[in-house]
Amino acid sequence: MSPEPSSESSVLLLRLAGPMQSWGDRSSFNRRETRPEPTKSGLVGLLAAALGRPRGADLTDLAGLRCGVRVDQPGTVLRDYHTVSDFRGLPLLQAGVSAKGVQKPTSPAKPTHVTHRFYLQDAVFVAALAGDSELVGALADAVRRPAFPLALGRRSCTPTQPLALDVRPGGLEAVLASEPWHAARHARQAYRRRQGGAVPEVDLPATFDDEDGTDVVNDLPLSFNARDRRYSTRRVRHAWLTVPTGETAVGGAAAASSHDPFALLGW
Amino acid sequence: MIVTSARTYIDLHVLHTVPPANLNRDDNGDPKEAFFGGVRRSRVSSQAWKRATRAFFAERNPDGDRATRTKKIAEQLTRRLAERASLDAETAARIATSALQPLNIKPGKKAGETAYLLFFGHAQLDAVIDLFLDDVAELCELGDEDLAARLKDLPVQETLNQGHPLDVGLFGRMVADIPALNVDAATQVAHALSTHAVELEMDYYTAVDDEGDSTGAGMIGTVGFNSATLYRYATVGLHQLETNLADPAAARDGIRLFTEAFARSMPTGKENSFAHHTHPTLVAVVIRRDQPVNLVSAFESPVASTSGIAAASARRLAEEHSRSVAQWGDTPLFTGVCHTLDPDSPEAGVVGKAFGDNHTFAELLDAMHTHLPAVQEVA
Repeated sequence: MSPEPSSESSVLLLRLAGPMQSWGDRSSFNRRETRPEPTKSGLVGLLAAALGRPRGADLTDLAGLRCGVRVDQPGTVLRDYHTVSDFRGLPLLQAGVSAKGVQKPTSPAKPTHVTHRFYLQDAVFVAALAGDSELVGALADAVRRPAFPLALGRRSCTPTQPLALDVRPGGLEAVLASEPWHAARHARQAYRRRQGGAVPEVDLPATFDDEDGTDVVNDLPLSFNARDRRYSTRRVRHAWLTVPTGETAVGGAAAASSHDPFALLGW
Repeated sequence: MIVTSARTYIDLHVLHTVPPANLNRDDNGDPKEAFFGGVRRSRVSSQAWKRATRAFFAERNPDGDRATRTKKIAEQLTRRLAERASLDAETAARIATSALQPLNIKPGKKAGETAYLLFFGHAQLDAVIDLFLDDVAELCELGDEDLAARLKDLPVQETLNQGHPLDVGLFGRMVADIPALNVDAATQVAHALSTHAVELEMDYYTAVDDEGDSTGAGMIGTVGFNSATLYRYATVGLHQLETNLADPAAARDGIRLFTEAFARSMPTGKENSFAHHTHPTLVAVVIRRDQPVNLVSAFESPVASTSGIAAASARRLAEEHSRSVAQWGDTPLFTGVCHTLDPDSPEAGVVGKAFGDNHTFAELLDAMHTHLPAVQEVA
């Protein structure tokens, strides 16, 4: 485990919640998949949109933030069958262009294109971004007054409020571990049922940027330019955080049966 | 594009009750669904409702291709050309005028003006300039006649005719091979979700052969459907629409048209089978300076189906709005509402407290439209 960054850094906490989210990493063409948790490119994209950076703008400062993502409510995967057509009934355009530089219609005419888009439904994450205090402060302001509407990985996935939780001093892990659980009511009820009563803590999976991490993900954005979209890899470490639930223990917790067949199903 | 001016978002919240219908189906032919708050909801994708909105537009505004907004296309083109190619105004004007000549736009009474209004965006003008930017040095040397001959065959018209300008300004445009023509949408539309739990229902049908005396059904099958009170949400970045359209007045009209089209439109999926033509129960418009706010969390705990889902949903929405303004945001610059709740009901009271007096839809549109210049001025 790498040492915590110096004390001058601050951490921006974001609550990523909404009915639908979609965090693609290597999707292309007609099958748009989602990762089970927010990607760094998705987070950097959200921050760049908040700041009003144009496509193709320099992202070095944002990609340089150390990020951690905590899974408060994992949600499930939704497959969306999606067709694309021109609403005026015209044939779709082909990739090639004419001598005049204009896209030609498909020949034979193709009116409809089928794509599959994957979303996470009913999920809640807490993301933490650590960096220079000035930058982090500017980002917190930008997320509260964004230049472009913000989205959870895809334009139609609007976030619910509050998105920006807080800016805190201290290390990434410590800040993420101290932030109370943000799960929705139904998820809390299910957890209480499994525990046989209210308990003060819950263990949540989290992923951190870590140079000594054991896993490599290919979602570090270098450029969002439409013509020159580039990503690099980053090393991450997976961990479990013990997080306050915001509830006080009830005596029954210890008496709960250890056998709960429904727990496996997440009920 | 860099947005530097103040940010202004127009949030639209719509509660829309739909009878048994199948507005937007998946590859099994069943209505789309999503889980939210741990229960199954009816869902209509953002794309489906955006398409309905655009179709509504096209129907109401069939001249969108040619219509409206500035008489000064030559002047605008000159200004942008002078900037990008570092030319003096006179040379730029000469080239710009020649480039526009093949369009056969009737000249107006004043020099540099066209006889009628043209509607276009910055990206379109830049795309026109892109057609000859590389040859500018050479073009400067040519006489008027040679210049006109050189520029005659450029696809200027095709470039300016790509799509409907207002439509493009609102919904964006992606042209994979011509990035100069890309426009970032000013609107953001969320997937519509039911405010309550919904189960998929199946309609088993038989169709009898009218001709002949055969017994039994000529055809059998099932159609999936559900009925729902949907929460629909969209937001428009006024600042971005102004940039896309390069005209504040056009942006105001665009917001009005979009609000009307978004509220009134309905996806046409299986409309002949279900005739699901309903008006919204409630339309609320909120203009904010800080951030767009989606109020779907009001329905994370599903509305119970014991009494009047639409009224209960309206109350939840109003309460969530009041709470979210108090807790997280600035006071909105404008709020307005149009609803069909019983005026004496407690729900109408809660909605009134949150969004103000009840208006007819036309009044709501007028009130919003007349408020927009003040919003733009502050910016």
